[in-house]
Amino acid sequence: MDAYFEWLQGLRLSMWIAESESIWAFPFVLFLHSAGMGVSAGSAFVIALRLLGLAGPVPVSSLRVLFKIFWAGFFLNLVTGSILFAAHATITGHIPIYYAKLTLILAGMLLSVPIRGFVDGEASDSVIPASIRTLAGVSLVVWIGVIATGRLIAYAQ
Amino acid sequence: MKLNFVHVHLLLNHVPTVGTIIALGLLMLALVKKSQELKRASFALFFAIALVSLPTYMTGYSAQKAIKDRPGVSSSLIEQHQSAALLALIFMEATGVVAWFGLWQARKRSAAAGWNAPVVLLLSAVTIGLMAAAANIGGEISHPEIMSAGEAPGGTLAPAALTSASISHFQFAHPWAWPTLETLHFIGLSLLFGIVLAGNLRILGFMKNAPFLDVHRLLPWGVWGFVLNSVTGMMFFAGASGQYIENPAFHLKVVFMLLAGANVLYLTWFDEVWALGPGANAPLSAKLVAASQVFLWIGVIYFGRMLPYIGNAF
Repeated sequence: MDAYFEWLQGLRLSMWIAESESIWAFPFVLFLHSAGMGVSAGSAFVIALRLLGLAGPVPVSSLRVLFKIFWAGFFLNLVTGSILFAAHATITGHIPIYYAKLTLILAGMLLSVPIRGFVDGEASDSVIPASIRTLAGVSLVVWIGVIATGRLIAYAQ
Repeated sequence: MKLNFVHVHLLLNHVPTVGTIIALGLLMLALVKKSQELKRASFALFFAIALVSLPTYMTGYSAQKAIKDRPGVSSSLIEQHQSAALLALIFMEATGVVAWFGLWQARKRSAAAGWNAPVVLLLSAVTIGLMAAAANIGGEISHPEIMSAGEAPGGTLAPAALTSASISHFQFAHPWAWPTLETLHFIGLSLLFGIVLAGNLRILGFMKNAPFLDVHRLLPWGVWGFVLNSVTGMMFFAGASGQYIENPAFHLKVVFMLLAGANVLYLTWFDEVWALGPGANAPLSAKLVAASQVFLWIGVIYFGRMLPYIGNAF
């Protein structure tokens, strides 16, 4: 793996991101990653809170567009996250909490399948089944975990 | 006229002191005349004052830096003023949040809940008392002549735990404190921004099958996100003010935040958008306000993330 991390870190883009003094390098990529977090975790929170019955009577079917927004933010963070990782791959690649973050992201993605299935389905505006409420609650904890582990990467270096 | 934050502090500090007295007077008048309109006006005023109180407190640190080493100026008196001000600020923000809820409830059920006005009344009265106590100590810093003969400077409503020195000391002593605050700050931002997106998408023409009034019910979660970030934000600020008071990224962040807050007040106060039925189109003015809200909060995220990179670095 170390050879792979070194290769990633040695890419022209990675070296520019890591070493340039320009605000458009590391700082701007970090900003896009923060904005992507706001978009993806934010929409995930809204969907979860509504399914848990904590966010008023807005029709569940009206939240379908939020899944598209979630995935747009997710994709932005996949790209910016990869750039951020590559820039310091030999360091971040050895941080356990980084892998915890990836695991939680995977969990979040898996949870989104049945949740989206319900929201997109015909029964979305009737009673929310207990199983969906449970999944929504777990999803809330998972995305909070993604935020927390993401923040802690910088402190583990 | 070049902007001097010391001057800004002396200008703004009239708002949480005089402004709250006016707003309380307005609320009392509303209750006497049983006027929903006057009550809503007083709630909006309390919310606006709560917003302005944040930069009022923050510019105090610039004033502190400017005069604390002058002969005849007592540093410990400045610290007492600072902690008395933070105590008053906590109650001011609580008043503003409860007042906002009153405005929000008024739309949900055409009048604020019964408990709201008495709670705002009580909180604002306490706030006025604490603001007066803080202001009095503040006056004594540069104007010892306001004290009567034999009167000792300072006051008792200035808990030592609320000085920036103790907050900063706590953060140093507990290395987990800063990362925890940052994590909470990111959770708050995600919650707030999620609601900003969901709330404004309807106004912008998406989510058409959602009645506006149902979307409006999401807003309190956004306010909780904002409250969480104000609290964690003030902990950052009080703990490490040197990183912020002369940082242009921070100044811009605060400006964008105040504009976004004013934007929230506009959406909470004005009727046209929320009175529309399902499937209806919002007026262009509302769409512009909604789009600007998304832009403003992205700006807050931008300047927040850029704090270490623009201006003086950490």
